[in-house]
Amino acid sequence: MLRTLRIFKRILVETGLGLKASGWSNWLVTSILCVALTIFGGVLQLTMTLKGLVEAWGNQLEISAYLRDGYDPKAVAAEICQFPEVKQVEIVTKEVAWRDMQHTFKVAAINNPLPNTLHIKLSSPDQVETLAPKLRLLNQVENTKYPLKVAKKITDIRHFLELAGIFITGALTAATLTVIGNTIHLVIKAKHREIEILSLMGVGHFYIKCPFVFQGAAYGFMAALMATGILLGVHLYVDPYVKEQLLSLAPFMPQNLQYGLLQTSMMMAALGVLVGAGGSLWTSGRYIKI
Amino acid sequence: MIRLQNVNKNYGGRPALLNVNLHIALGEFAFLVGPSGAGKSTLMRLLYREETPTSGNVFLGGVNLNRLHKGQIPLLRRRMGIIFQDFKLLPSQTVFNNVAYVLRALGVDEREVQKRVEPALAVVGLEHKYNALPSELSGGEQQRVGIARAIVNGPPVLLADEPTGNLDPATSLEIVQLLERISQRGTTVLISTHDQPIVNAMRRRVISLKGGEVVTDMDNGLYELEMQ
Ligand SMILES: Nc1ncnc2c1ncn2[C@@H]1O[C@H](COP(=O)(O)OP(=O)(O)O)[C@@H](O)[C@H]1O
Ligand SMILES: [Mg+2]
Repeated sequence: MLRTLRIFKRILVETGLGLKASGWSNWLVTSILCVALTIFGGVLQLTMTLKGLVEAWGNQLEISAYLRDGYDPKAVAAEICQFPEVKQVEIVTKEVAWRDMQHTFKVAAINNPLPNTLHIKLSSPDQVETLAPKLRLLNQVENTKYPLKVAKKITDIRHFLELAGIFITGALTAATLTVIGNTIHLVIKAKHREIEILSLMGVGHFYIKCPFVFQGAAYGFMAALMATGILLGVHLYVDPYVKEQLLSLAPFMPQNLQYGLLQTSMMMAALGVLVGAGGSLWTSGRYIKI
Repeated sequence: MIRLQNVNKNYGGRPALLNVNLHIALGEFAFLVGPSGAGKSTLMRLLYREETPTSGNVFLGGVNLNRLHKGQIPLLRRRMGIIFQDFKLLPSQTVFNNVAYVLRALGVDEREVQKRVEPALAVVGLEHKYNALPSELSGGEQQRVGIARAIVNGPPVLLADEPTGNLDPATSLEIVQLLERISQRGTTVLISTHDQPIVNAMRRRVISLKGGEVVTDMDNGLYELEMQ
């Protein structure tokens, strides 16, 4: 047990020596990996946020049906209630809507231009696409509006972002692996004497390779830390602006859209350590032979 | 202790060792001689499992090295000491740390490191040079550090591949005599060399290789260049 601890301590010391020997390469590796992780984490947060947005809308999904003038909204509401998809119908008469609007904005004294409106809640959000066309077939209904169009657009954007994110992260990961490979190879060259002696004197290959794997893992960890800092900055300075944009896009904003930064940094750290340690393990396996 | 049975080793079809049969008993002291390219280093590398034979078996302490899998090689090497022509010391480490280096890597605690390194350095006569760097030592002293490192674990076998190849004749004799003293404590010692005067001065067992074959094997032997 104590012996294992002593070995672990020596491995850490060797890892430190390796990092020291790598000099500016440390920064090259860490920054490239940091860019990869930032894009990975950013896309992750963005897509998760968009997904959350769409889901939040889905829960409160309602179809607004604008009625032609001359029909009694109560009668139409009663008729629409017959549809199996409908859970609840709420009537907003043109008078009520007009009064609300005059209340909120300064409106010129003109004739009420607003239609009678029905807000139709559905038993399930995925029935929107089947119910909306049925409603439009009714004579009394002039037009329908529902947020799913926006939701669909956002989902499309999300899928595109996911694809682009996977592609860019993949490309940058490959670049990182190359740079890590070169860096670790240089350290192995610099320590070839030590490696040879340890190997010939019967020190196991786990001990010999471990410092390199740790060095790679340290890069991953550092890069994830930096990427977290960048994302935190983005949240502080860019978020308010983005929220404004989203608000103009959508009628309301659900609360707590942020996909947790903590979860994201943990994912970034996991990916970073995996790439760093994996790349180093592969390189040391390639250049350290028994 | 060391046994080779019908050992062949080819490099790209060219034989470096040809049907070698050999037995070296526990505690024995033997020279492996022959001109450059005779296969001495190849035989040594088979013994510390840096190479495997193309055919035949190599036994060390009754263990067939062919049957050893990769994970067991370190265990084998911890039971032997290897001494090199180029010393293989760490230039930035002191004498003491060079000898202690592998012990520490194996997780031996510092008190025990002290307890093992001090007598090893005393055996080779470097008890006053703990803090010297290799660059501050003569060639003979550097090889003594290499020997101290090889014996620090108290291994039953010492393998020395041309340990005097980089040393002057007087120093070479001292080093070989030091190895002989170590063997008198029960360690099996195999020294490869093509240094005729030294071999002839010692009058010990001489195994002579030529073109990968054992041509003579004599106790109290001489290294006779004419025979090669
Ligand atoms: N790694 C190798 N690859 C190819 N040929 C080798 C290798 N090692 C040794 N040889 C050949 O094997 C023969 C024996 O070499 P070696 O064992 O080094 O001889 P010695 O140590 O007696 O000088 C030589 O012909 C040498 O060229
Ligand atoms: Mg040789």
